[in-house]
Amino acid sequence: CSFSFISSWLPQSVPLRGKHWQTSLLAFRASLPMRAQPKKKKKVDVRKEQAQKDRMKKKIKKLEKAAPEMIPIEDFVTPLKYSDGNRVRSLPSLSFEETERRVLLMKKWSLFKLKQDKAEKNAIQALVEAQQEALEELRLESEELYQAAIRRDKGLFPFERDGPNYTPPLPGYDPPEGKCIDITKVYTQ
Amino acid sequence: TAAAPRPWRLFGAMCLLRLPRITQPLEKEEEEMAALMGQIELEKSHYSDHEIRKLGEEEQLRKRRESTSDDDRAPSKTVIMARDLEEKWEQKLLRFEAAPRITDADKNNNRTSLNRRLDSNLMLLVKQKIGNQELWLLPQVEWQPGETLRSTAERAMAMFLGDRIQAKILGNAPYGIYKYKFPRAIRTEDNVGAKVFFFKAFLQSSDLSQAELKEDCLWVTKDELGDYLKSEYLKKVNRFLLD
Repeated sequence: CSFSFISSWLPQSVPLRGKHWQTSLLAFRASLPMRAQPKKKKKVDVRKEQAQKDRMKKKIKKLEKAAPEMIPIEDFVTPLKYSDGNRVRSLPSLSFEETERRVLLMKKWSLFKLKQDKAEKNAIQALVEAQQEALEELRLESEELYQAAIRRDKGLFPFERDGPNYTPPLPGYDPPEGKCIDITKVYTQ
Repeated sequence: TAAAPRPWRLFGAMCLLRLPRITQPLEKEEEEMAALMGQIELEKSHYSDHEIRKLGEEEQLRKRRESTSDDDRAPSKTVIMARDLEEKWEQKLLRFEAAPRITDADKNNNRTSLNRRLDSNLMLLVKQKIGNQELWLLPQVEWQPGETLRSTAERAMAMFLGDRIQAKILGNAPYGIYKYKFPRAIRTEDNVGAKVFFFKAFLQSSDLSQAELKEDCLWVTKDELGDYLKSEYLKKVNRFLLD
């Protein structure tokens, strides 16, 4: 019977089915209510078990040789229920003035962002210059302090900080109870 | 050859910043752009499940109102409509009160509290006696041989805010320097002037009730620094401060 095969092939680490009515692996054959066949000769059993083991090994080798399946990226696949036509939003089409306004606003925005970026870069440049000056003065003072100052600070990174929110935290706020159940599908290769 | 002892005294100063806790108000262009982006997103989107349910129910209601003979299909079971759900959510939102962005400390202009101006950086200023003058400065302390300048700055911070202050110092290198010569009366061959090296740190703990505040300290923003610092000192400090 296949049950005896599994227990003899795999080491104790695998939980066997029906373990609840099996006390220990050593007292296995005594406690197990063996059904059907009376005791066969040992040679035939051994040969059969060997053959079964080989078959299982061959199957495992075949599976391992096959290329691993690609894990589907769920974000790139639109579910079918969103592809029928009744979901299309019906809004009045844009007037000429509206499109003009949008184009002009985009241009103003790109200019605004350009200025912001330049200002940021200049500020960083100024910071770096100030630091270089400070380091030069320090070097003039003492070489030892300078070497200590340009050493890398290992405790600085990784630097974590919770970003600013729209409102400050409410003191004594009791958030509503609830459990978040994660239903993301996990694929294994 | 041993270097001749330099005539400059070294000081380590710490610029302790409390980072902003709320977002800064948006500029006009940013607000317009945000509105436009929202509109475009709405136009390019499809109906969601909730909206389809709502539309279906509106249709049903309309049909029921028009066809008055269909009274046998009167709603015997109470069905929750999408419209009612939306109203319930609106009510819940209105009942919630968020903390105000402009705190009491803002209104009183209480410069010693940390709860002021939550949208900008706050810096620590202390009153120290330099020579024979009491000046408002970033906390500084003289360097002692045997320690790095960074530990000098840490000592300065601990001196004014107590030991149990949690701050993340940004690196071993100084950010700025202020050099000044002593007035002629005190100047000697060996003691021409002083160099103050500034270090920057971010305040990690949000409440300082456990810290023992010695002497007077203030928390000010970059634009308010001009009220307290001398012009030369202010110029050097402004160089390494981002807005």
